[in-house]
Amino acid sequence: MIEVINGSFSYEKSRVFKDLSFQVNKGEIFCIVGPNGCGKTTLLDCILGILKLDEGEILINKKQLKEIPPREIAREVAYVPQMHTKTFPYTVLDIVLMGRASHMGIFSSPSAQDRDIAGQALELVGMADFINRPYTQLSGGEGQLVMIARALAQKTPVIIMDEPTAHLDFKHELTVLETVIQLVRQTDLSIIMATHFPNHAFYFENSGINTSVALMDQMTFSAVGRPTEVLSEDNLMSLYQINAKVVSCLLDNNTELRQIVPLNTVNGRTTFEEGCKI
Amino acid sequence: MITRKKIIYAILILSPLVCIFFSLFIGRFPLSVPLVVKILWSKLAMSASSLPDKYNTVIWEIRMPRAILGALVGGSLAISGAAFQGLFRNPLVSSGILGVSSGAGFGAALAILIFNSTSYTYIFAFCFGGLAVLLSYLIGRVYNTTPAIMLVLGGVIVSSVFSALISFAKYVADPYNQLPTIVFWLMGSLASARYHDFIIGGIPMTIGIIGLIAIRWRINVLSMGDKEARSLGIDTALNKGIVIICATLATAGAVCVSGIIGWVGLVMPHIGRMLVGNDNKLLIPASLSLGACFLILVDNLGRVITGSEIPLGILTALVGGPFFVYLLKKTKGGGW
Repeated sequence: MIEVINGSFSYEKSRVFKDLSFQVNKGEIFCIVGPNGCGKTTLLDCILGILKLDEGEILINKKQLKEIPPREIAREVAYVPQMHTKTFPYTVLDIVLMGRASHMGIFSSPSAQDRDIAGQALELVGMADFINRPYTQLSGGEGQLVMIARALAQKTPVIIMDEPTAHLDFKHELTVLETVIQLVRQTDLSIIMATHFPNHAFYFENSGINTSVALMDQMTFSAVGRPTEVLSEDNLMSLYQINAKVVSCLLDNNTELRQIVPLNTVNGRTTFEEGCKI
Repeated sequence: MITRKKIIYAILILSPLVCIFFSLFIGRFPLSVPLVVKILWSKLAMSASSLPDKYNTVIWEIRMPRAILGALVGGSLAISGAAFQGLFRNPLVSSGILGVSSGAGFGAALAILIFNSTSYTYIFAFCFGGLAVLLSYLIGRVYNTTPAIMLVLGGVIVSSVFSALISFAKYVADPYNQLPTIVFWLMGSLASARYHDFIIGGIPMTIGIIGLIAIRWRINVLSMGDKEARSLGIDTALNKGIVIICATLATAGAVCVSGIIGWVGLVMPHIGRMLVGNDNKLLIPASLSLGACFLILVDNLGRVITGSEIPLGILTALVGGPFFVYLLKKTKGGGW
């Protein structure tokens, strides 16, 4: 689906990443994990065609990204932003209809067919009842689901999500993750997701989705692979300089649950044991 | 849903026409309804009129061009205000945000200074209005792209420079002759509206309005910000450029025939938002229609309220302000 080969990028003089290579297959969720400022968003911007690689190439469906005109990139890759700055109180439908822009001429407006597609997209994320609500009045989680619906309305094989659960509470975080899982199951989408929570990768893997995780550190991927292999205590130590415990238990329905429990920073002021005493 | 939309569009198209018709009766020279209809009909049917020439002149040479020009000017200011608000993602922006009004004001003042008459004000005002926007755009391009905030900043800089130049022009102007002309021009008026104004002001206004109506839905997408708009498949530089050029043509055309009329470009889009919502597909035509009606009505008011005409720039704010507050209260701001 998407292949990045030896990609390098720098802003002016500061290098962000170098010689990155990976590929994302159909129906796969590809999680990119890494500390703040490691270049996750920059990498996503390159795949979206907003920034251009200095070296290397990005292939979408075997086509060179740099040879695809901007409008057609938007038919291959859709984008769910991290935090959307809301300006005017558009209705939820207006927002989702914007996903149809790449399928329309410059001087045209959405057709009845576009409205149908937008309605179906809202249906898929379970937000159909909100169709005429001003999106400025939605909660953070509902807003994020609307953004996912907008990306779905773009009808692309790939969706890129930049920390889609940032600022969400437990329930809304789970709603977004569950929606993502359901979409991958139903539609064979590929999803590239930058996240601050390595546990998300475990969550997808636990749900039986084809999941890969990449640890982004020091301008490159220090490890890429299945969450169970990559998200080890040693790797978390070198990525975040933290002590963590990977725990595993069986759930009632006999599926395995794996989670990372972060304990303390390497140079931390309290160790876990001391913390327990307090 | 479809029928409701059709009704809205019908109202939007009809109301400026009704306002234009209504304004034919208003003025110093009283005309009755049957008389006006008769005059209109005799011209449209190309039959020789049995009525005295002065009736024809009042309707066809004075009131009609003034009403049509008022509609175009009000519509242009409001539609470009709505377009700029969407483009800059900022509800406090008006049609003059990129400096077109101050630029045009300086152009007019300069023409009055140089030629000691008002005959070249149109062309000077139009050119300097366009120049001001071009300068704002160039200032906004420091990063090779045009982020909205840099454009706004460019507009603020250019506006303040041209405002200073206007003050300078007033300062050096002959206080008995040129200064009053400049001051009155800046206050805005349609009193001198004739058909030849249509050539200078009407053509750019019409082009701008048509362009903005054509691209109106794209303004929704542009208002999501550069990055999202691009990820949605929009060539932001091209689309922004079209919106800026159209809005500038419309505003510069309006300012050069009417002088500086504030308020319309800021507030009419907001009244539109309260009435039809924020979707630019409906909002842009609604702003056009509201601006047109509002300016015709205010202009009528200015003609009859006192013996001499009150400049438009004063009345738009005096009438529009309270009306806006009333609407705010009534609609609870429409989702803000």
